[in-house]
Amino acid sequence: MEFEAVIGLEIHVELNCATKMFCDCPNRPGDEPNRNTCPTCLWLPGAAPRLGRAALEKAALISLGLGGELQPRSAFDQKVYYYPDLPKGYQLSQAHLPLSRGGGIEIEDGRGGRKTLRIHHIHMEEDVARLVHDTEGRTPVGLVDFNRAGAPLVEIVTEPDFRSPFEAMEFLKALRTRVRYVGASDCSMDNGTMRVDANISIRPRGSTELNTKVEVKNMNSVRHVGDAIAFEIARQRATVEAGEAVVLHTRLWDPDRKATFPMRGKFEGPCVPDPSVPVIELSPEWIARMRARLPEMPDARAARIAAAYEFSGEEARFLCAEAEVAEYFEALVREGVAARMALHWMATQLLPALRERKVDPGRSPVGPGRLAALLGLLARGEVNPGAAREVLLRMFDSDEAPGSIVNAGALQQESDAEHLAALVDQVLSYHPAAVRDIRRGQGRAIGFLIGQIMKASGGRANPRVVRELLHQRLSSGDGPG
Amino acid sequence: MESVFVYRNPEPAPPGDGTLAGLRVAVQPNISVTGWPTEAGSRALERYRAVEDATLIRRLRTAGAHLCGSTRMSEFGFGLEGSRAGESVALTEADAELVLDLMGECRAAGLRAGVCAYKPSYGLISRLGLIGLIPSMESCGILSGSVDVIRRLLAVMAGPDGLDFSLPEEPVPDFSPGACRAAAVIGVLAEARDSLPETERRAFDSVLGEIESAGFALRELSLPEYALFPLVHGIVGSVEASSSAGRYDSVRYGVRAPGAGNWNDMYLESRREAFGLVVKSYLLQGAFFQFKRYGAYEDACRIRARLLLGMDRLLGQADLLVLPAPGAAPSAGRLGEVLASFDPSMFANVTGQPVLCLPADEQGGAGFQLAGARRGDARVLEAGERLLNLRGRE
Repeated sequence: MEFEAVIGLEIHVELNCATKMFCDCPNRPGDEPNRNTCPTCLWLPGAAPRLGRAALEKAALISLGLGGELQPRSAFDQKVYYYPDLPKGYQLSQAHLPLSRGGGIEIEDGRGGRKTLRIHHIHMEEDVARLVHDTEGRTPVGLVDFNRAGAPLVEIVTEPDFRSPFEAMEFLKALRTRVRYVGASDCSMDNGTMRVDANISIRPRGSTELNTKVEVKNMNSVRHVGDAIAFEIARQRATVEAGEAVVLHTRLWDPDRKATFPMRGKFEGPCVPDPSVPVIELSPEWIARMRARLPEMPDARAARIAAAYEFSGEEARFLCAEAEVAEYFEALVREGVAARMALHWMATQLLPALRERKVDPGRSPVGPGRLAALLGLLARGEVNPGAAREVLLRMFDSDEAPGSIVNAGALQQESDAEHLAALVDQVLSYHPAAVRDIRRGQGRAIGFLIGQIMKASGGRANPRVVRELLHQRLSSGDGPG
Repeated sequence: MESVFVYRNPEPAPPGDGTLAGLRVAVQPNISVTGWPTEAGSRALERYRAVEDATLIRRLRTAGAHLCGSTRMSEFGFGLEGSRAGESVALTEADAELVLDLMGECRAAGLRAGVCAYKPSYGLISRLGLIGLIPSMESCGILSGSVDVIRRLLAVMAGPDGLDFSLPEEPVPDFSPGACRAAAVIGVLAEARDSLPETERRAFDSVLGEIESAGFALRELSLPEYALFPLVHGIVGSVEASSSAGRYDSVRYGVRAPGAGNWNDMYLESRREAFGLVVKSYLLQGAFFQFKRYGAYEDACRIRARLLLGMDRLLGQADLLVLPAPGAAPSAGRLGEVLASFDPSMFANVTGQPVLCLPADEQGGAGFQLAGARRGDARVLEAGERLLNLRGRE
């Protein structure tokens, strides 16, 4: 029998607010353990939660950025479960009246079409403490770090619209881009500011039933989400084909063994409304203010850039996948760099160099102004492309203007035909075999000769002039051979 | 006999001339006073000392009140088993005592000790620093021999708190006598009166006579759903309590059962030891409704909203309501008996309205409750003071 998968995602995004959700403690989970705590986030007796404005605003921006509809009334509930990471016995979460309903993201489905994956709702909740398993001597101990307790989260719950690991991965990448655009989180699965749980079931292809689902957790990259879903689909298929039933439970992804394993269930009950956090009432004016704060979102920006600079959709989406990249590109163009040259240099030189140095494009030591100055030298023929690449690398370690780096390194382009002609003749005389090959019609050797001439010029020769000289020499019949 | 106090403040009364200067205020140890033992009458909070003042305590200090100590209380202030609430005032060891009112405890303690008891409007006094059990229903009650002392304390403690967002950001009402239109018409809730046994009804009728001769017009009113108040309280209150008490896990404070092999067993065994029979039964009742009868909980929430509207309607027809006082709370007993004794007082915890409870007097006048509209505290206190003064003159 042919099966299809039915997949829904639950994505936790940790908001980058300065303070926690219900108190004024710094929202810095990575600090020395239990440094950022107070009676409220330790939930000492008598503590009162105070919902922070920033958390609400950032959660609202994410909702709007994902096409959700902010609800005029939303409220917090107590999600009861007993576990040492939650010493007050319930997590404040919006179970009954979420902040936002609806929304979705359109992705390329990998078969040339586009598909909208719908969002069911988005709600706010507080994070819980972090458990650290350690040993004291030979005794295993469990330590609790409350720095993360009360950190502001939103949970994005999708409809079960996904049919493949690919769709899930595309959705997550697009979601991450949008959340980063609104400036609410860095959405790093690596450091846990984005956490994804996948609910997976299978059914005979063409059926509309929803079968027993299995929840898979603990994936720390988009690729692992894809791998875990693929593994789980195969596992369920094997289960069904063996005539067994899929059982409702939760599994953990083990990236080393590339497999999912069942985890022990935790007791969880229905949610009751929390009487301490007031109901959140959003006025149409407030919602309009938030909407006005929304930046140009990636799809709109890519469409605008594609139209303005005659880029393909793929090129424009590449530039707009990160807001900082798109901003860098537009700054280059404002500085007078031709759009295609800007795209080419960012894609092939700047961004790979930044990735290698693990620097965000927004913090590039080579800002758009300096890169534009370098590309100006290139456009005017004052340096050749190879030298420009060399100068760019030096600019990462120096504050100097590209012109001074060129002068100091004697990297100016040599375009003087008389000077270069001598070099060309010299190289031709060293490589009679190559010259013979070219004359026999083997054009590949010409690249070799250009390389040799460039090398002899210390990388400074103007490749266009070199090429012209070579053509002259080789077609006139002069020279060795 | 055990002392009324579990803790006495060793510091002398503060000097100064605040509005409450010289006033001795006792509290129960579920109200946070920095550094004081704050065990809320429960082994679940054994060894716990408050790390910061409740907002209302901070305001009392600023106004110059002398916090004289904390008094023996029932577990989490639920019911009156083991409680000596009110005695500090009756014995003139304090001018006022603060007692949380979850289902009528403050009022019942006032009746028992023969002093006035006041349950303010919900949302008037910050709950920051109050170790509660039923967050949507309890408020900090005030016991005193004098309505004027109650009024002065209320004026100091009430009002928005930047640290407790559950309080509405409405300005503090003026509680001084004459600040509001005095009550003229007092409603008598037929269902409450009719539920009384014969002797108690006669006593209540004589209270009605007193009220009439004090110049108030009486109007008989009806709220057919009156009998639902205890039911709603029993479901919503116990679910909230079960959720609220989830934090008592005996890790940082509280009695810890020895010998458990893992954290889960440690929780289970410690909680078994930590809670007394009445509270434990109540928590189990809440867990039952939350996990096994969630629909009943949702129904109770809806009925609560309807009861609020019903009460608003009555208070559109009368300025205040007079109701019988709750009966004596059993000093020990099973949960059902404890809850039943608070049936006549639970309505105000369900609705959040203010109630002044006057005790029986020496001339045989019965105790009774005077209830007002939410945030209509000033009118309740004004009328209550008038009636109390008349009693004193007889």
